[in-house]
Amino acid sequence: MSRRREDDYEEEEDDEEIEEEENEDYRRRTGGRKRVRSDFIDDAAIEDDHDKEYKDEEDENEELYGGRGQKYRKRGSEFFDLEAQVDSDDEEEEDEEAEDDFINDAGTDLPDESGGRRAHRPLNMMPEDQEDVEEMERQVYERYAKSSHIEYGEDATEVEQQDLLPSVKDPKLWLVKCAIGRERETAMCLMQKFIDRPGLQIRSVVALDYLKNYIYVEADKEAHVKEACKGLRTIYSSAKVMLVPIKEMTDVLSVKSKTIEISRDTWVRMKLGIYKGDLAKVVDVDDVRQKVTVKLIPRIDLQHLANKLENRDVVKKKAFVPPPRFFNIDEAREMHIRVKCRRDKDTGEYFEMVENMMFKDGFLYKTMSMKSIRSQNIQPTFDELDKFRKPRGDGDADMASLSTLISNRKKGHFMKGDAVVIVRGDLKNLMGCVEKVEEDIIHVKPEMAGLPKTLAFNEKELCKYFKLGDHVKVVSGVQEGAIGMVVKVEGHVLIISSDTTKEDIRVFADNVVKSSEVTFGITKMGDYELQDLVLLFNMSFGVIIGVESEAFQVLKGVPDRPKVVLVKLREIKSKLEKRTNAQDNRKNIVSVKDIVRVLEGPYKGKQGPVQHIHGGILFIHDRHHLKHAGFICVKAQSCIVVGGNNVKHSGDKFDAIFGLRPSSPYLQSPRRPPRGHMDRGGRDNRGGGRGNDALVGRTINIRSGPFKGYRGRVVEVTGSFVRIELDSQMKIVAVKRDDISDTPGSATPFREPSQYDFGSETPMHPSRTPLHPYQTPMRDAGVTPIHDGMRTPMRNGAWAPRSPLSMMMFAR
Amino acid sequence: MFFHITLERNMQLHPRHFGPHLRDKLVAKLMKDVEGTCSGRHGFVVAITSVEDIGKGLIREGTGFVTFPVKYQCVVFRPFKGEILEAVVTMVNKMGFFAEAGPVQIFVSNHLIPDDMEFQSEDVSNYTTSDGSVKIQKDSEVRLKIIGTRVDATEIFSIGTIKDDFLGVINDPGAAS
Repeated sequence: MSRRREDDYEEEEDDEEIEEEENEDYRRRTGGRKRVRSDFIDDAAIEDDHDKEYKDEEDENEELYGGRGQKYRKRGSEFFDLEAQVDSDDEEEEDEEAEDDFINDAGTDLPDESGGRRAHRPLNMMPEDQEDVEEMERQVYERYAKSSHIEYGEDATEVEQQDLLPSVKDPKLWLVKCAIGRERETAMCLMQKFIDRPGLQIRSVVALDYLKNYIYVEADKEAHVKEACKGLRTIYSSAKVMLVPIKEMTDVLSVKSKTIEISRDTWVRMKLGIYKGDLAKVVDVDDVRQKVTVKLIPRIDLQHLANKLENRDVVKKKAFVPPPRFFNIDEAREMHIRVKCRRDKDTGEYFEMVENMMFKDGFLYKTMSMKSIRSQNIQPTFDELDKFRKPRGDGDADMASLSTLISNRKKGHFMKGDAVVIVRGDLKNLMGCVEKVEEDIIHVKPEMAGLPKTLAFNEKELCKYFKLGDHVKVVSGVQEGAIGMVVKVEGHVLIISSDTTKEDIRVFADNVVKSSEVTFGITKMGDYELQDLVLLFNMSFGVIIGVESEAFQVLKGVPDRPKVVLVKLREIKSKLEKRTNAQDNRKNIVSVKDIVRVLEGPYKGKQGPVQHIHGGILFIHDRHHLKHAGFICVKAQSCIVVGGNNVKHSGDKFDAIFGLRPSSPYLQSPRRPPRGHMDRGGRDNRGGGRGNDALVGRTINIRSGPFKGYRGRVVEVTGSFVRIELDSQMKIVAVKRDDISDTPGSATPFREPSQYDFGSETPMHPSRTPLHPYQTPMRDAGVTPIHDGMRTPMRNGAWAPRSPLSMMMFAR
Repeated sequence: MFFHITLERNMQLHPRHFGPHLRDKLVAKLMKDVEGTCSGRHGFVVAITSVEDIGKGLIREGTGFVTFPVKYQCVVFRPFKGEILEAVVTMVNKMGFFAEAGPVQIFVSNHLIPDDMEFQSEDVSNYTTSDGSVKIQKDSEVRLKIIGTRVDATEIFSIGTIKDDFLGVINDPGAAS
């Protein structure tokens, strides 16, 4: 050790350290002064020795320590040992386990040395034994005095521990890249080098078993590290030296107990092979050999197997993974696969053997290395669990899923007031109520009388528990957000009847919390909001009057009869935002926000502002109407605009307003005008770039191209291509827009009007035609009137069969 | 369960009703406003039996409306957990059936229907035992036990079970016809 280093240490008021450094220094300088040095070394050893086991021996071993040092020196390697001590001493500063025995450290670092040392003990007993008794006494006294002092220090408070953490003043740790697999060797070399060349200014070298390719070197400056590493075969000269941040220094040397606990009945997933990702259940664990036996659903191609067994030509199929299926002996026998029945030596269970695969109850039992399975964060789905349960009613499935669940819990799982049941230990099945939560210790107030007020449990021993009829909310898992009432409790699986859909939901009790939440908290989901007018997938429409956790309540556009349906998000096709008008009973124009009064029907007398208009149907919002969020759906005809003109209009006024179109026969029909108007909205949309909407969802025929003759539904329109889901094949193809012809007959009624009117208008607005080239060819003016004639009655019975119409089309 | 309780409410009366029949008007309005409503705390107000006291009216500034504190006695109906009720089936589907006991809607999930009863989706969907002796369909009368209630501000919704002794169909219109 250099003078410089000593200086450094002096700053650090670490008495022991200095003492020791001095020893060493002294020793190095003086070389031969055995006695003094041995004393020092002895002291150091004693100081550092906390191991009580040694204490009994220490009286007699007194000399041993001294002797040892001496002996080593004789062997010329005493520096080495001492270095190890010193090094571990340095390490200790960083190490949280400060009370580690130095000698032991040295021993673990250099197992061979320690072995050798032990072997020499008896020999060393005698020769160094010439010290006078007083000296001995003094040492004994010193030792015990010290050791008691250290003992006191053993249960040091955390603050004291904090003191030991490295600071900016301490030497730094540097990460040095070395040849892979040579980490230990490199460390040894560096140590040796340090001994051979006193000028080296590194403090310690650490090679970690789990860290390949790197060693740590402790030194004050990077240059020192470089200097030390220079010329070492195992360290590349080009290798960069990286500084370990102070905060991470302790991590380098703290031992993490990263034991993965795999026990029977836990769920794991395969990491490799054709079973990759498959769920498997651990049936046996061999900790010594690091092997586990798992059972999984086999993915076996019997035909392939049969071929192989008969040495027939095995065609290597490329990356074909057979679907998981239970193994069936009869099937296998049919394929002439020999199935042996064998009894397992250890367990005494019978297995069916095919080649060297073991089957039981259709499951494949596979023994594999622990490394090839994943056991962390396994969340088996109900589907998978169900599959596993299939062949036999497996009673332990619940327990297994439970154990997995518990290991997958989030932090802060339990809260005060939760009803819990104890699932493990002597108090199993005891129910209680969470009183207090401290990290993973939960204080539970048991329900049963005669027990102490609160009992403390580990989090893992508890499971949440719900009673029939509890109103709960799912807080995690696939069904997150659902709210409902518990209708059945099956062990740790709850069946909840959702408030919104009334559907059954299966969830784990752990994923659920009690809830008093009223379901009308949210007003928005996806793109849709409360009170939006939406088009549903079956082409009906309605107003959203309630948003619930997973569905909308929609008041359908059926006049005079409140029809509320629950609609899932995916069942909504689009929002209807067109601003349209309608005509009231007196031919007044009704537009959104007008206040109207209902004149006839069950809602007679209700009054309120119009919120939406669609196809001659008004949605009125009446504050005093308590049901359906105040929405009323009525025909425009049965209302009157408040403050409107009561005189019945002829078509004149209408035409004046809608000047665009001459009065045509169907304009006279009171239902027509709104439609015409609406169409205009539709057209505007089309002009505004959303023109594709008209085509989307329609069923069309493909007229030419590779898919000529196919029929399908338009999924999307992109530029000049249309993506079509073919009816006859399960696929979506892109077809040129010019290659398709739509068959309006199969379009749904609500879509049609716009198409039709459009057609009917074509002659009047020839300028528009070029805008929609794809539609033009179909719309020869001659056909249109016929259609319209056909259509009017259809619209009244909105869901009349479409066949006559489509027939017309074909006839055409 | 039905309760006869006294409640209080502040009624606002339009000035046009001021006159000799003010009290009658007030009571009529009270009945119109209150009967049939539901509060989470008291349940459904079934009927007002008497008006105990009408306090001094206070004229609102600006509007001319008068606010009367009214104390009235009424019959309320509130379902409780564990209560046995008789109800009429209103809808049957594969998830279970809905029944109504007066204003309260009760849902009986198929998990809470005895296991020997199976859902049949005939023209009138129903739950029938394997021997066909018991049938639950629309308009059947059932006796059920409430296992949970959900109370919103304006609605009480319950979940019931018929999976217990002495519960189930008590009068089957289908059998009679």
